[in-house]
Amino acid sequence: MRVYILRRLLLAIPTLFGVTVLIFLAMRVIPGDPLAMMEASEGATIVLSEAELATARASLGLDQPYHVQYLDWMGQVLRGDLGESFWRGDKVRDLVLRRGPITLEIAMMTVVVAWVIGIPIGIVSAVKQRSWLDYVTRLGVILFLAVPSFWLGMLAITGSVLAFSWRPPLDLVQINEDPGRHLQIVAGPILVLGIGLAAVIARFTRSAMLEVLQDDFVRTARAKGLSASTVNLRHALRNALLPIITVSGLAFGGLLGGSVAVERAFGVPGLGAALVLALNERDWMVIQNLVLLYGVIFVVVNLVVDISYGLVDPRIRYQ
Amino acid sequence: MGGRYSRRDVIAISGAVVLGGAAVTSLAPGRTFGQEATPTPDLLRAPEADPQRGGMVRTAWGATTAHYDLHQGASSAVLANVYDLLVMKNLADGLRTIIPGLATSWEIADDGLTYTFTLREGVTFHDGTPFSADDVAATFNRIIFPPEGMVSVYRSELGPVERVTALDPTTVEFVLSSPWPVFLEVLTNPAMVVYSQTYLEANDQDLRREIAPGTGPFIVTEALPGEKFSLARNEDYWNPELPYIDGIEMLHVPVWTDRGTAVLTGQADLSFNVSPETWEEGATRDDIGTARLPCLNSHTAIINNEHEPFNDPRVRRAIHLAVSKQNLIAAISATQEPVFLTTWMPAVAPYAPAEEELATRPGYRPDKEEDIAEAKRLMAEAGYPDGFGPIDLVTASDPQHSGINGPAVQEELRRSLGIESEIRLVERGLLSELYQSGDFDIIVEGAFTSNLVDPTLLWNANLRSGASTNWSRYANEDFDALLDQITVEADETVRQELFDQGVAMLDEDPPFLMIGFCAHSAMWHASVKGLALEDRLFSQFGRFETVWLEQ
Repeated sequence: MRVYILRRLLLAIPTLFGVTVLIFLAMRVIPGDPLAMMEASEGATIVLSEAELATARASLGLDQPYHVQYLDWMGQVLRGDLGESFWRGDKVRDLVLRRGPITLEIAMMTVVVAWVIGIPIGIVSAVKQRSWLDYVTRLGVILFLAVPSFWLGMLAITGSVLAFSWRPPLDLVQINEDPGRHLQIVAGPILVLGIGLAAVIARFTRSAMLEVLQDDFVRTARAKGLSASTVNLRHALRNALLPIITVSGLAFGGLLGGSVAVERAFGVPGLGAALVLALNERDWMVIQNLVLLYGVIFVVVNLVVDISYGLVDPRIRYQ
Repeated sequence: MGGRYSRRDVIAISGAVVLGGAAVTSLAPGRTFGQEATPTPDLLRAPEADPQRGGMVRTAWGATTAHYDLHQGASSAVLANVYDLLVMKNLADGLRTIIPGLATSWEIADDGLTYTFTLREGVTFHDGTPFSADDVAATFNRIIFPPEGMVSVYRSELGPVERVTALDPTTVEFVLSSPWPVFLEVLTNPAMVVYSQTYLEANDQDLRREIAPGTGPFIVTEALPGEKFSLARNEDYWNPELPYIDGIEMLHVPVWTDRGTAVLTGQADLSFNVSPETWEEGATRDDIGTARLPCLNSHTAIINNEHEPFNDPRVRRAIHLAVSKQNLIAAISATQEPVFLTTWMPAVAPYAPAEEELATRPGYRPDKEEDIAEAKRLMAEAGYPDGFGPIDLVTASDPQHSGINGPAVQEELRRSLGIESEIRLVERGLLSELYQSGDFDIIVEGAFTSNLVDPTLLWNANLRSGASTNWSRYANEDFDALLDQITVEADETVRQELFDQGVAMLDEDPPFLMIGFCAHSAMWHASVKGLALEDRLFSQFGRFETVWLEQ
């Protein structure tokens, strides 16, 4: 196990190296640089001469060759320094520490809510296959699979504004500052996203359970007189968990990566919203470091998912 | 409340606006040099009789800034309240008159080339540094002669200013190379703030990384770009009457609908620009105030005059005549923001014609039959009786422009004149590069804008041959000659005549397709007072030291 984890960690190095090279080059190869954005931000009032552009670029360190800029960045990252905003000098580390937790919390709690709702529905649907309960739950699952979460979110906010003259707060309140207000911010996205993901989990649970329920060991368990709940939960479900864990891991990564859209839809000032702003401002240092952070999280989540297979299913051994 | 905006009213009022002449002597019929300004006898205060003190105002709009140097393009919507201007628009009368700020009075020489400002005494910056004429000279010389590496956004607006000199601690002199009747108006730009010379020198003239101390009514206590800015009242503000409130919390809310729902639900007290549907909802409620505030931004289809066949004025004139501005205005107004039928200047410009009269002119009237017939005659004369294309029609990739504005212009060109086009989507931030390179036939956007109600700068920057932001590459010698006159002419009656001539010239030889200037949909809680929002001449984010909250 230890060797496996070490090997996976070593394999993560080239992956993350690729991420850094791609994002570094992408920011510089695609048209538009920070100064182009600056001109655009003030409409049609200013055009810099080439000489002015050159000196302005130099003031931001953008006149250095690419490899020098890249090595400077990597040097910072390896020293644990996530750098500063090009313009304002804000520490990216402070930005991550302030706005990262709410993004992480929404992603984690969404998965929890999805499991709490989706797994029981999937089990019931599988155990009561072809019953009216199965048809009803499958209809609900298909409905929530088809409806985009952001649309559901906008509908929920519009409804609460019109019906109760209430909407979730738009500022960032940490959980230790005001738990009640914090809950108002995160509850909406967690519920709406959780219901959407629950539909996926329910579908995977149902199909995995149906497969496992046909296996010999389930028949044996029933034959030796175990109760239905013991058979379904302790024997069948445990064996059906692997695909659910896989899809949950992927969904967790997707929720973090997709936080850009989710936070915009719900007006949550999380890390995704910070990334959108950095893109608008062409704040390369912020973008580079946030994308790298997302890359690291993806790699770690995948590793955790792989390791969890062995914990759930003892038959899996890591060689 | 529902303060609905009537354009007729605004046009009528704007005709009487004092532009750069005297301080608060209102409704002067003309403007001539050689007058000594009459400073306001009283300091600025809220327009209501008994403003109450205390409370925090929460705002919701795009309250963020890429950096903190206003003269390099930082957002005045965030930072304007921290600083003071030499002269400013009067918040109490709906931004109609110019009143003293850090300058208490000013004299304009007979030839219009020297402006001498007398400065307020006893003013200090937030860090305790005393304010003096040296700060004014350092500030404006930095804009006019930017140090290496500085992007001086407003240098062109101060174009004719040759030098700024501190004559003594309370007197500063601006010397111009040619008369500039809009000079005082230029100084009212909320970004034209006065910085501390000491702070500028201590920071090597670069103020992008930290919020420099100002002399203004509020002090930033917490800056979280992309999230919120918290400001507290400046207890030592030079105007003892202001500010009334204890502080401001500016929330950064990028989505217009969120801004609207924030005000509707009490999460915010005020927003200057909300979505159409939330504004409509607010207009039905007694506890919410609403107003359409005309803005100085336009919706246009910028045509590259150097590309064939748009280098033929007959083709551009045909487009001006045949395309239904009413259809385009309806499409944009229903989905984004209200747009007015305008000529080549904002609806509230003092020289703009009344909307009713404008709607009878060729190219502007809703009945297109005659106009399309004339347009087709011009197209045939130019050699394109059946239209042409496909041309390269560029729009920003955001949903409103790519999904509505671009296709609407595309369809109007196709239907009225048989001009086929292919839409190219470009990220909004990259449009400026296209404007500069000229790699487009038409760009549907709003790159015809200025900070002033007066169109002098707008026309000089965007329509003069060879001007740096003349994106349509328009070249008309007669129009340039007219601009020369407009730029230096101070008499309002003559200016009106000159602008009328200019509009006629542009209608005859249009640089691009003008759709119209827009309005912002402002919405606020009824307890918000002191800003004359229902009566504002035009939309301006930024300063609101006269705001107070009714308990």
